[in-house]
Amino acid sequence: MQLEAELASRRPQDKPGKEAEWAGKSSYAKAFQLSTEFVAAIFVGTLLGYLIDRFLGTTPWGMIIFLLLGFVAGVLNVMRSAGLVAENRAGRKDEEGNNHNADG
Amino acid sequence: MANDPIHQFQISKLIPIEVGGLDFSFTNSSLFMVATVAVASGFLFLTTSNRGMVPSRMQSVSEMCYEFVASMLRDGAGAGGMRFFPMVFSLFMFILVANLLGMFPYFFTVTSHIIVTFALAILVIGTVVVYGFMKHGLGFLNLFVPSGVPGLLLPLVVAIEVISFLSRPISLSVRLFANMLAGHITLKVFAGFVTSLGALGALGIGGAILPLIMTVALTGLEFLVACLQAYVFAVLTCMYLNDALHPGH
Repeated sequence: MQLEAELASRRPQDKPGKEAEWAGKSSYAKAFQLSTEFVAAIFVGTLLGYLIDRFLGTTPWGMIIFLLLGFVAGVLNVMRSAGLVAENRAGRKDEEGNNHNADG
Repeated sequence: MANDPIHQFQISKLIPIEVGGLDFSFTNSSLFMVATVAVASGFLFLTTSNRGMVPSRMQSVSEMCYEFVASMLRDGAGAGGMRFFPMVFSLFMFILVANLLGMFPYFFTVTSHIIVTFALAILVIGTVVVYGFMKHGLGFLNLFVPSGVPGLLLPLVVAIEVISFLSRPISLSVRLFANMLAGHITLKVFAGFVTSLGALGALGIGGAILPLIMTVALTGLEFLVACLQAYVFAVLTCMYLNDALHPGH
């Protein structure tokens, strides 16, 4: 019983939010996650641009535009997994609030 | 060369099979995939075959695995996510056992090949896409349309969201593969220092102690990484499944 109480006091909250989960990670894991998320988006953007160029014959515009979009998506990925930007779903929940912000 | 740190990742054909010009050979990678499945299912089967109300030591290990994945899935994807429990649990156990089997000397690490991890990631994302369209129809595409965006910016934002979605399987597979590959190469390089320094005589043996300590420490770190990466893969799977279950909420 004593052990259990001790464990309970040392354990983090039962339902850790995204931020708590993020804070609990080692810096190595964080660095790895952020870098892969960033690089993967750039890679996908470039690939998409290349394929679009190939099939539509718009060389080099598709690649240029989608490479830049890939960078943007990479930054978005990184900010999302670091908890700096709300998830897509969370944004939709307070739809009205967002609309007000957009109007103002 | 004995000290080649990449040699451990080489694929060798054990039983060459060729069907219609395609190579279906049974390789050492396939052998260890079979071994992974055999070890994982054998362990779970044997520890739960004569189960009691008061669990034995091994039974509680498999029960802990179950509870761990179940609570992860319930937190990540809600109660509706439990229908994906068999998939998430199998993925978690496969990656965990494959990573841990790779820690044995002379064993092949299945997850250190990007095609294997990519296949696992594609399986996850494929499930998300197929189930999302099955359950929500075209409403699943709402995932790519954030609310409160002015119409002019919408195409741009949708393109960014699509790229962000497509980058998921890549970052998922690259993370697992790169962690395993880098860890095993580092381990091999430091272990190689021990032998090459030890060949230099008395002074070299004294100097070899440092990389030896490093190798021992890295082995511990590798065990941590092996478990952590299986966990990370399963957590992200739950997160993506959540998108398939509730795309527009």
